[in-house]
Amino acid sequence: MRRHLGVPHVALVRRPTQTLEFSIGSVPFRVFFPNDYMSDREAVNTLYHSAAARYAAFQGADGEPFAIRVVDSDELAEGVPDFSYEWQEARLHCRAGEAVFSGVRHEYAFDSLLRMLFSWILLPRSGFLLHAATVVRNGRAFVFTGRSGAGKSTLASLAPEGSVLTDEISLLRCEEGGWRAYGTPFWGEFRAGDVNTSAPVAGIFRLVQAPENRVAPLRQAELLRVLLPNVLFFSAQPAAQRRLLEILGGAAEEIPGHDLEFRKERTVWEVLPA
Amino acid sequence: MRKTIRWQKNPIVAWRAIDGETVIISPSDNVMHELNETGSFIWRQIDGRCSAAEIAGMLAAEYEVPPEDALADTEALLQQLAASALLVTAAAADGAAC
Repeated sequence: MRRHLGVPHVALVRRPTQTLEFSIGSVPFRVFFPNDYMSDREAVNTLYHSAAARYAAFQGADGEPFAIRVVDSDELAEGVPDFSYEWQEARLHCRAGEAVFSGVRHEYAFDSLLRMLFSWILLPRSGFLLHAATVVRNGRAFVFTGRSGAGKSTLASLAPEGSVLTDEISLLRCEEGGWRAYGTPFWGEFRAGDVNTSAPVAGIFRLVQAPENRVAPLRQAELLRVLLPNVLFFSAQPAAQRRLLEILGGAAEEIPGHDLEFRKERTVWEVLPA
Repeated sequence: MRKTIRWQKNPIVAWRAIDGETVIISPSDNVMHELNETGSFIWRQIDGRCSAAEIAGMLAAEYEVPPEDALADTEALLQQLAASALLVTAAAADGAAC
């Protein structure tokens, strides 16, 4: 005899998992905010909606998305990770082509883990994230690198309107036909609006504030030395570092590098190569 | 008889030759090391089989440098590289030479 048991007054519909899809630099992502995440449903809703708004402009890549599961801090990701990292109380655990974010309590934590993950999954895709502002001029991307205070946001604010891809973290990828810079949702103090587009890289410029505007070429080895301390990278694994150095070495050989001495005014654009 | 030390590159370091120079990164401390052209020449010869004297001989054959200076410079660089853990001693292999 079979007896069917149930709770007649509870509908057989679980709260849906909220899914968010976006793509950055032609890399598609699918983020799951599961229905059992956190006891505070208001918090997960806020997290989901703020992420949806920040990444709304970044759509359109083809291919199987890279899955990210946002889980509560008590739920430990299983297995030895290919890559893991912690940012304050939030943790990233990446294994077998899937990532788990745990302990994410606010949008800054989510964005930080996403940048860390992205720096890792760009390795097989011949790309890297660089502390740099990127401005598109005449259809080509000018990448201005330097640490905080070097003048990235200042330079972005002096750029012709609507042509800034980012003022803080640039994404460069080597593709068929050469290096391209992509817009990213990662911004510093100057936010012109999300630009989900890309352009071939015209050059990388090290920012040096000076009384006069002047451009001087950098040798390949010098450009590599400029790139290394400005790259966002969070893995100490030898194989990953070898791969990163190979990618950066290629960039230093193939992209023209320059020192850009500039004063804080719009005339800086006059000394840049056309 | 004193055993000749033969060095090899530490397998965990990342390095890349560019524009005649060499950039080496040690993952343990994330420090970037740079070698000039002659330093890069020596780095390229470090293969676990060559002794300092043998590498110095190749350096003196390639560049205008007296053999005794070549040996002193080679030994000094090998010591610096080893002190930064960029080199490890090669497993003793009698009879092996470069």
